[in-house]
Amino acid sequence: MDEFEAFLDDGGIVEPNDDIPEPYRKAVFRFIEMHANSEYMGGLTERDWIPKAPGLHRKMTALAKSQDEIGHAHLLYMVAADLGIKTRKEMVTDLLEGRTHFQNVFHYRVHSWTDQIAVAYLVDAAALASQQAVFKNCSYGPYKRILRRVIAEEGFHMRNGEEMMLLMAHGTDVQHQMMQESIDRWWLPSIQLFGPDSKPDDELLRWHIKSERNEDLRDRYVQKFVPQLLAGNFTIPDSGLRQDNEDGKWKISDMDWQPLQDTMKNIGPDSSRRISDAKRAWYDAEWVRTALDDATKTPA
Amino acid sequence: MITEAALKTVRHAVALVADPEYPDLNIEQLGILEDVVAENSAIRVDLVPTIMGCPALEVIEKDVVAAARASGYDVTVRFCMSPVWTPDRISNDAREILGREYSVAIRLRNGLTTCPVCGNKALQHRSDVGATACRSVEWCPDCRNPIEVVRSREIGQT
Repeated sequence: MDEFEAFLDDGGIVEPNDDIPEPYRKAVFRFIEMHANSEYMGGLTERDWIPKAPGLHRKMTALAKSQDEIGHAHLLYMVAADLGIKTRKEMVTDLLEGRTHFQNVFHYRVHSWTDQIAVAYLVDAAALASQQAVFKNCSYGPYKRILRRVIAEEGFHMRNGEEMMLLMAHGTDVQHQMMQESIDRWWLPSIQLFGPDSKPDDELLRWHIKSERNEDLRDRYVQKFVPQLLAGNFTIPDSGLRQDNEDGKWKISDMDWQPLQDTMKNIGPDSSRRISDAKRAWYDAEWVRTALDDATKTPA
Repeated sequence: MITEAALKTVRHAVALVADPEYPDLNIEQLGILEDVVAENSAIRVDLVPTIMGCPALEVIEKDVVAAARASGYDVTVRFCMSPVWTPDRISNDAREILGREYSVAIRLRNGLTTCPVCGNKALQHRSDVGATACRSVEWCPDCRNPIEVVRSREIGQT
């Protein structure tokens, strides 16, 4: 293991055909499975908004984003399954039975179109920042290669979110007010997406599966988004938010981490509805999978 | 009157517009930029979408108009129904970047694909479309990587 860790510290990339120590295999599997689950649940959220999106163009964007997320999940499940710990079917079943996890932000209800914009603007940006940090120094080759494309595509989503947010920021009073309410709902979940401060002995950091500490990512996000939101004449739902006199950096209040812990137990505000919706979607489409399987079977 | 020099300036400027999904590549390398032509007293940029209904078209259009304006000209953008975009329109240097940077392969005219990670020629087909409608998903059984392959417009067409 010491030798393996030295290899990782030197920037070594682990490939599926290498001898992989079991603890690393398990850790990288769990991480990719959670990412895959999150992309999948995110794709389903996006899908809910295809019929409700205002105008053909927004519908096309929602459709494409939904396809993107499901497509990312598809690739990630392939890589996760290849690690030989669970089959793809086992991963999907565990997700739909609430036995595994997905990112906190998908445990909340998207109430309105401006909530959907807040998701595209705040949540996608947080997700992108954490993926970029993983990509930068990721030691597992196949995962790093997928992340390269995921990041390029998420960047495109973020641009879209930014554009829609600006439209609301400069829109009518009603639009501005709606956007503000959505920011109030989504600010906390977005900054909690990075997780609580990293533990000193975090194995994900030690094995270069992640490359940056949660608190550093969260801080960089705050420094970027606080000024952007203020420039749009929005307020930030944090009464203790202040700008440091010395270095000009934004400091947020201490957070209550209970909401994040709830999502990690699948008992967040919208967890049960999200999971049951995903389950229904999966079983409603069973006949398609069966038909495709039958169609591709070679006749005996 | 639009001069040849003006058309050339615009062409140079808009050719450098980055693709929204592959920021390292521009629309000329990807074969999206078809032509820059004079139309009456205006300049028109003809683009060939990789697939119809591509969600990036609006962004590309905006970026093209902005790039042209920065070079001193106002343009209109037309998305052409023909010619049809095929992966053959991707330049050789772009193919190299797609393979090396993005692990994305191009399906050749003869239907063959090579794994951009390990060079294996026997990829296993997994699905007709992937994260984007212009890419299919394959699996490389040698290096055990999922590989996305840029494909043509029609599903099932190789």
